[in-house]
Amino acid sequence: MHQQEAKKIYGSIMRKRQAVMLLSILAVLLMIVADMSLGSSSLTFGGLIKILLAGRDVEGPYGLIVWDVRLPMTLTCVGVGGCLALSGLQVQTITNNPLSSPYTLGISSGASFGAAIGIVTGASLFGLQWLGTAAHAFVFAILVTMMIFFLGRQKRMSTQSLVLVGIVMNFFFTALQQYLQYRANAEVAQIIANWSFGNLSRASWTSAVFSIVVMGAGMLLFSRLSWKLTAFNAGEERAKSLGIWVERLKMLVFLASAGLIAAAVSFIGTVGFVGLVAPHCARLLVGEDQRYLMPVSTMFGMLVMLAASSISKLLTEGSMLPVGIVTSIVGVPFLFVLLMQEVR
Amino acid sequence: MRVLETKELSVRFGDHLVLDKVSADFTSGRMTAIIGSNGVGKTTYLKAIAQLVRAEGSVVLNEDGVRGLDKKTIAYVPQLGSLHTKLTAFEMVLLGLVNSLKWHVTDEQIELVYQTLSDLGIRHIARQPFDTLSGGQKQLVSMAQSLIGKPKVLLLDEPTSALDLRHQLIVMGLAKKYTKEQDVVTIFVVHDLMLASRYGEDLLVLHDGSVYAYDKAEKILTPELIAKVYGVDSRVIDLPEGYQIVLPLAPRR
Repeated sequence: MHQQEAKKIYGSIMRKRQAVMLLSILAVLLMIVADMSLGSSSLTFGGLIKILLAGRDVEGPYGLIVWDVRLPMTLTCVGVGGCLALSGLQVQTITNNPLSSPYTLGISSGASFGAAIGIVTGASLFGLQWLGTAAHAFVFAILVTMMIFFLGRQKRMSTQSLVLVGIVMNFFFTALQQYLQYRANAEVAQIIANWSFGNLSRASWTSAVFSIVVMGAGMLLFSRLSWKLTAFNAGEERAKSLGIWVERLKMLVFLASAGLIAAAVSFIGTVGFVGLVAPHCARLLVGEDQRYLMPVSTMFGMLVMLAASSISKLLTEGSMLPVGIVTSIVGVPFLFVLLMQEVR
Repeated sequence: MRVLETKELSVRFGDHLVLDKVSADFTSGRMTAIIGSNGVGKTTYLKAIAQLVRAEGSVVLNEDGVRGLDKKTIAYVPQLGSLHTKLTAFEMVLLGLVNSLKWHVTDEQIELVYQTLSDLGIRHIARQPFDTLSGGQKQLVSMAQSLIGKPKVLLLDEPTSALDLRHQLIVMGLAKKYTKEQDVVTIFVVHDLMLASRYGEDLLVLHDGSVYAYDKAEKILTPELIAKVYGVDSRVIDLPEGYQIVLPLAPRR
């Protein structure tokens, strides 16, 4: 009798979360198809499905458009959106602050500055300039993260102070990037400016595969830590008293988040707001159990990016509005509606 | 029988010596209240025992001659503070098993949570988010979270602060019941001297980071001690129920 009652209580708590997770999977699949259907060519929905089912060797211009332009672009949205949301969620979790995100902590602007250095110096990796730029972004994302982490630890900073440090970092690296832009010639300055907008026109199979692989690795790591991260929501002191190595966990999560954010922005540039809004929305719907919160946040990140991509295609026919601009326009009302629902 | 031995525990925060070579033994099946004025190191002492702060000295649990200490056998229940979480009461208690939880929560773990909630009389709030609970309910959930791991040492940091009278008695009564039934070492920090006297079979008085007195409550709770430790003139009234009430009269100049 007790056994049944106990299971009933647990089951009722989990049911809504499982439903949200299922719906999120469906929504992502639908948005992937919707995003791929949109574009300047007059490809019909049926034609798109036919080409996808036919495989990569399909002949004609539409095969090229679907397989070499739209699919990598859409999959980059999936990978980048997932990486941004995942890192945003975990930074919020360990700083115990819903206003934290790679963007507000200055990690994104650090990465952006790193990329700007890469662009200005023309650095390349394995003979590839875009890889050199990406590597610079990655190194700076890690550096800024470590700086925030050690500064916070050294001075025993509260989570609020940590966010303030992040805001300072944001201003600092944005100023440095602007300085580089100011000193560079017009062409390079334009490249840097474009990079800081977050533009999907730079998407490729490399960016799609890389961001999805890094996102998968992040999900695997965080899924193994899911209960420990959930315990963080009950407060840092409580987590410590439950026997969790809080400092080690923080360090690990900070590093992994830096890797995720770097993977996200290295190819298409800085995209703000996704890392802030997606975890918020997910938390409102599934609570703080990371077994559900993590995958749902990640999928919400994908959804925001896919929606932003679709809107940017619809707004500017024949070209693409930088997606970083659109994410904020899509994200703000989305968060607002959900917050209003919670207030009610 | 278990004895928790703390030997020459010292804790320093920067240049400030908060605890200065505190030594005391605590026997299982008994509740010990730690009292003292603000800032004398009561919470720090509990945290040092729970190994949540860096301390010099040693903490050892002596179980029938076998000496050692597994951190997992110590449960520290922090002050409630301003904890905000959307986790349900059920999940909060489940987190007490965090080190053994896998992705799939087993039927045994679910039943254990249910049983613990039932034991503490809060089964009816299992589905409610922690944020929406009353102070008393939150404290009981916190205790359930600590007790589910079957600790051998229970450390309660101001468990009755911000609770109404009824919940103060409920929380302390449950702590006492658990201490006796499970034969655990229970140490609690409390400001209310009536509760200290009623539930603390022993009182440990901290003053300036050191042990000022440590004995049975009825022996040491005197106006002289209160004047020295708190700087307050008072009357101590012995009740027929076997504990004392401290009536504060005026702060000393």
